[in-house]
Amino acid sequence: MPRSLWNGTIAFGMVRVPVKLYSATESKAVRFRERHATDGAAIEHRRMCVQEGREVPYGETVKGFEVSSGSYVTLSKEEIASADGPGAHMIEIEHFAGREEIDPVYYDRAYNLGPGKLGDESYLLLHAALKRSDRVGIGRFVFHNKAHLVALRALEDVIALHTMRFADELVPVGDLEIPAPQRKPSKLEVAAAGALVEQLNASFQPDDYKDTYRAALLELIERKARGETIDAPEPAEIAPEDDLLGALQASLERQGAGKGSPARSKAKAKTKKGGANRSRSHASKPAGSAR
Amino acid sequence: MARPLWAGSLSFGLVNVPVALFSATRDRDVHFQLLHSPDCSPIETRRVCAAEEQPVPWPEIARGYELENGEWVLLSDEDLQAAAPRQSRTIDIECFVEVGEIDPVYFDRSYLLVPPDEGAARAYALLSETMADSGRAALGRFVLRAKERLVCIRVRDGALTLTTMLFADEVRCTEEIAAQIEGAEPTREQVDSAVAVIEELGVEFDPTLYRDEHRAHLKRIIKRKQQGKKIAAPATPEKEPVTTTAPDLMGALEESLARIRAQGKTGRGKARAKTDSGAGAKAKKPHTGSHSGTKKKAPTRQT
Repeated sequence: MPRSLWNGTIAFGMVRVPVKLYSATESKAVRFRERHATDGAAIEHRRMCVQEGREVPYGETVKGFEVSSGSYVTLSKEEIASADGPGAHMIEIEHFAGREEIDPVYYDRAYNLGPGKLGDESYLLLHAALKRSDRVGIGRFVFHNKAHLVALRALEDVIALHTMRFADELVPVGDLEIPAPQRKPSKLEVAAAGALVEQLNASFQPDDYKDTYRAALLELIERKARGETIDAPEPAEIAPEDDLLGALQASLERQGAGKGSPARSKAKAKTKKGGANRSRSHASKPAGSAR
Repeated sequence: MARPLWAGSLSFGLVNVPVALFSATRDRDVHFQLLHSPDCSPIETRRVCAAEEQPVPWPEIARGYELENGEWVLLSDEDLQAAAPRQSRTIDIECFVEVGEIDPVYFDRSYLLVPPDEGAARAYALLSETMADSGRAALGRFVLRAKERLVCIRVRDGALTLTTMLFADEVRCTEEIAAQIEGAEPTREQVDSAVAVIEELGVEFDPTLYRDEHRAHLKRIIKRKQQGKKIAAPATPEKEPVTTTAPDLMGALEESLARIRAQGKTGRGKARAKTDSGAGAKAKKPHTGSHSGTKKKAPTRQT
């Protein structure tokens, strides 16, 4: 059993649910460490006092908030923690919403909750009610001196907690300049693109997707360890499509001739050696633009 | 406009849509600078070569991978791309799915995709229009920062929004936690009442209802400290009275319902004037988007 990251209580109306928090995810990315490119030696991160030019032990440091250039207000750990307020170990469910109403852009990290001391019965009750109502509890949660919006929901036999972003943490789409096309897509193009979307319809099966890059990267590392030189990849050349309709029609034909639904070809890619299958499916594509 | 985090193309069938990737989220946290306590001068973290005892400039930092025999293999950005040249510059759309089918546990970080120039605008418009019509999300994958990402792309406020997803083997199984749960299953009556509480507190998700009060509180504390005021010691967390007996769940549920409904009557609760208990009813109530009369106000957008 992994160690819990946090202990607290969920307030669901007047019902108190003592809970423990566990991480729901673990990264499987290939991990690197910083090394000095010239001699391969380890890189150490050292805290240096800018004024004195010497290394400073952590005990001699304090946190400061810059109120104006070069001028700081210092705060002790306790002072920073005082912002947590008295409800720091409490998640009050404020509302219940439909899961499909929450855009994925709000989700941050995923955790699972287990019952805390004497919490089994109230935990089972909240789980049963979340499951039957098919709703998600929305509340706020202070963790590591930071507040998060959270969603609580039934996931299999446990209650899952998702930290979410506050509305003002999203970049307004209007802040980005999206150039408008000089010529709008034609009806024929929209129809052909719609048909292609139809052809590629599938249902999401998480197990159908395997990380193929991880294996490719480890293989490359092995080659490099044997002293092989790695050729730099060709520079990318991405040209915008001029003949959108032609490319769409060719895609539809290819897809139709291939017969296999995307889910089926994916399933094959899964069982085979991944990389080989993928490169084969791309082999029919013209490199770069499809002009 | 800021520099994109990644630039490449979105491949949809044989159509390539050049896109630039920007973060869809922004950091609003209060950040602190580490200071040297005697003189409050700033502390910098420096990268130092352990062998030479010399500071190392950023361009000389390489990614190292430790082999089992303790030797290190150094990799450049080019090496990382060479492991999967196509995936490093193309997001291949593999299929289209319903967003609701994807369990939120898979979602990781979100980005916005933008056409880099006018030449790409037409293909971008075609894809976003088609996807908006279909109401579906594209599933694809590409390599970003030395990691392959499964991604879900859909239209949000007129822009293609990309959310990276975890692979199935990166999601922990829940069985270990579930196996630890002991105790009696709730009674039918208890679940009916709990569902009634949920329905009473039901709203349509509106993110503007929730403001980060912690952040605001921290800023006020900084201000008070700046004015030379003393900061009160952190309040001791509200300790729930220690109970040694099983809680009276039914009593707590009934009290919850009574309180929520009483609040509703005085107009201070949720705007919904729903009074029917609906206990045990599985049917969803129609959501109302109106929250006038609630204590919470929508945050004013800061620019």
